[in-house]
Amino acid sequence: MGNDNLWHEFLRWVGEGWRRVASRVGWVRETTGFFRVDPHTAVTFRAIADAVVPETPGLEAELGPEHVPGGLAVGLDDFHVAYVDDGFQFGLPHVGFVGNAPLADPVAHVLDLAARELVRRGENESALSDDRPVALVDLGEAPPPEVRAAAGPFAKLSRRDRLRAMAILDEFEVELSPSADELFELDAGLVGQLVVGFAEMIYYSEWQGYDEFDRAPSERDHPNDPAAVQSWRQTGFPGFANGYAALRGYLGTPDGSLGDGESWTTIDDGTGSPVRIVHESGSFRENDYDTSGYEEPYPE
Amino acid sequence: MVKDSYDVVVVGAGGDGPVAAWKLAEAGLSVLVLEAGPFHGNEQWPNPHEDPGGEASSSVEDLSGELLDEQFTTREFEMVNELLFGPADHDRGFWFRKFPGDGAILQCAGVGGTTLHYTGCHPRAYPASIDEQGHWPIDYADLLPYYREVEAMCDVSPAPVTAKEELFFRGAAAAGWDPIEDLNVTDPGYRPQPNAIRQPDAKLHVDADYDGDFTYPDVEGDTLALGDIAGNPHPRGAPFEEKAKRASNVSFVPPALATGNVTVRPNAFVTDVETETGGTDRPTATGVRFRDTWSGDTETVAADVVVLAAGAIETPRLWKNADLPANDWVGRGLTIHFGDNVMGLWDADDLEDAIGKRTIDQHQGQDIAARFDYPGLGMLQTVGTAPGIGAILGFGASASGFAFQNDPEDAPWDTMGRLAGTELKRLLSGYRRMLQVLVVSDDRPHQRNGVSVNPALADEHGPIPLVNYEPSTGDRQRRDDLAEIAAEILREAGASHVHRSDSPPTALHVHSTMRMGEVVDEACEAIDVDRLFVADHSVLSNSVGGVNPTNTGQALAARTAETVVDRYF
Repeated sequence: MGNDNLWHEFLRWVGEGWRRVASRVGWVRETTGFFRVDPHTAVTFRAIADAVVPETPGLEAELGPEHVPGGLAVGLDDFHVAYVDDGFQFGLPHVGFVGNAPLADPVAHVLDLAARELVRRGENESALSDDRPVALVDLGEAPPPEVRAAAGPFAKLSRRDRLRAMAILDEFEVELSPSADELFELDAGLVGQLVVGFAEMIYYSEWQGYDEFDRAPSERDHPNDPAAVQSWRQTGFPGFANGYAALRGYLGTPDGSLGDGESWTTIDDGTGSPVRIVHESGSFRENDYDTSGYEEPYPE
Repeated sequence: MVKDSYDVVVVGAGGDGPVAAWKLAEAGLSVLVLEAGPFHGNEQWPNPHEDPGGEASSSVEDLSGELLDEQFTTREFEMVNELLFGPADHDRGFWFRKFPGDGAILQCAGVGGTTLHYTGCHPRAYPASIDEQGHWPIDYADLLPYYREVEAMCDVSPAPVTAKEELFFRGAAAAGWDPIEDLNVTDPGYRPQPNAIRQPDAKLHVDADYDGDFTYPDVEGDTLALGDIAGNPHPRGAPFEEKAKRASNVSFVPPALATGNVTVRPNAFVTDVETETGGTDRPTATGVRFRDTWSGDTETVAADVVVLAAGAIETPRLWKNADLPANDWVGRGLTIHFGDNVMGLWDADDLEDAIGKRTIDQHQGQDIAARFDYPGLGMLQTVGTAPGIGAILGFGASASGFAFQNDPEDAPWDTMGRLAGTELKRLLSGYRRMLQVLVVSDDRPHQRNGVSVNPALADEHGPIPLVNYEPSTGDRQRRDDLAEIAAEILREAGASHVHRSDSPPTALHVHSTMRMGEVVDEACEAIDVDRLFVADHSVLSNSVGGVNPTNTGQALAARTAETVVDRYF
């Protein structure tokens, strides 16, 4: 399958996803069991979380035990599916929950296409394995045969090969060519943003600390404590504060207008003209200006 | 209550619309401001993301610092989701806009617009970008009185220095650059940001041993708690008008309402500009049609003058959807300051030597308080973020794949690309010893870049904006030069590891899609439609040299409002 074919396959899946979306009048997500979303989608999003923010036993000796658990330990995959499904709305009240477009299923299938393309090119470092998706699901959640049946090629790749597959999506800089018979087309770049960028933002933000993020904003509770947010323990972020007594002063120069008063510190630039951080602020200078000597570094 | 007609209707209460509204109202005109998103910190809407609330606000008495404190939690993930461009109803997702690649448009909906999550940076354009690049029909000198007016309204002053700014200044000085004290910048160098954030209380000096609360009235002004991107309600406890960050909802909306001549109606998405033609082919704007985002009901309102201030994406979209006269430059010439991120990571021992402590603590201080200017190339800014936003901005996206797929060889950075997996976790374990530098390039207007619409791709407000952006060779060269300067400054400041994102085009600053001289005249009235003005960043003729555009957009909006009065009232 060449690039063109991959692209056509991609569009076919997106179109398929949208047709399914459009047909689900009053679509409501099931709320019980591991497979409360499409099993293939559930396994694929586990594989995403496992690749983007993995469990890292190797970091224990280097950084400490708090750096071992990853996204799966805090249910990143579950929330990621919900977030991708609820994240965008197209103003079509008959589509999805209050018009939000459930994108998780098409995204999961697009990742499989990318995985197949990676394998076709021979760029995967190790062979597909059924054991990988099975290892992502506890026995009590779903029996291995069900997981194997549900898993697509993306979930069967090694962690690093999954990232390689995601990178393939970046190759498709798409000129949108809308047609009247498709509800919408999604470009591959958005998939990369949804599965990598959004997963990282969610994981490293305060998200894990909410009692329930699905609640109305005025009813959400957050303890603002690293004890409640695994990623804060890993980054050292102390939580949100009302303020810090962290003022060192203002940038000042000898005889200049910017800052004044007692020096906090001196920055020596090596030319004998030290810049100082001083206690009191001055102001910028309303200078005369002359642009006649301006030259374009890169004329165009 | 919203009336049937006003002297002027302003479409959009973002960074610039409230400036125009204030000036028009000061001149005695009746003004209706229609805003697509919610109104935070207003007693008409105690839960603006949960209930439709009131219809409109016409009194400064409606503003409530207490409500703003409640609604702006400063929690980054929650606030990004509430502020980014979408309907007020928290159950509903963002309004989708097509953007190329894995980039995105970062805009906010709500009174204050994208200034709700801007970082207060208020520099002037580089004079050469106006006077020498050949795009502008007016001179830099024409803007100066309006810059001064806006800067006074926004309390623009030199940003304070905390550890991360000191570290950057040390690096810039060691790299051989000079400090800049000028408002009108013509040569390269470094300086504190001219920020529209009230300076912190002197009590917060590290030598002052302050151990009190960081709330008003114990402290006034900024509290050095980061959080500008998440809305910044500090100091908590302060009245609405006394909040430190002078986003347009704080700087211009209160005086506009105080005139008694302004009504702000949020949750109102304008979908059409109404016109009439009186015996000629030339249309005259007579009002607008808008849709209530909660009820879905549509209404029309008449006006003697219509001012579009919906931003550089939505204003051309509205123009095209309203079927106003075609013009080759409507929606074209988009500039976004084609940007990048260069990150430095330090060893604790090296920090001890440089700044006297073993962590940088980017979560302290203002988000963006130090800058490097280079007229002709663009600018650099230090950026402090909470870890989630830092991860997506710095590591979550790249135009060159994952870092493990790239070998930078002789490049001035150690790694380049997206980070994920073990490498991401290892790097972010050093969050408190890390400083990101945002690269902001002086990209130029090209007709291929911009906003188009297609009838097949519509949401409830009509065909959505389809954005195209492909930087030119020159744009890439300017960005590459700046990224190298950033890396050198970080190295000189002692960073042990430098990472470049090679970010895909992402629209943090958005301008020049309704350019002065092409779509609007020198007074920002549409060339092809009478009584239709534009007062937002879309009228900038270029990207103002790669500096933060808010000051210039607001200065022009103030100037445009004066012209509206002169021409029609």
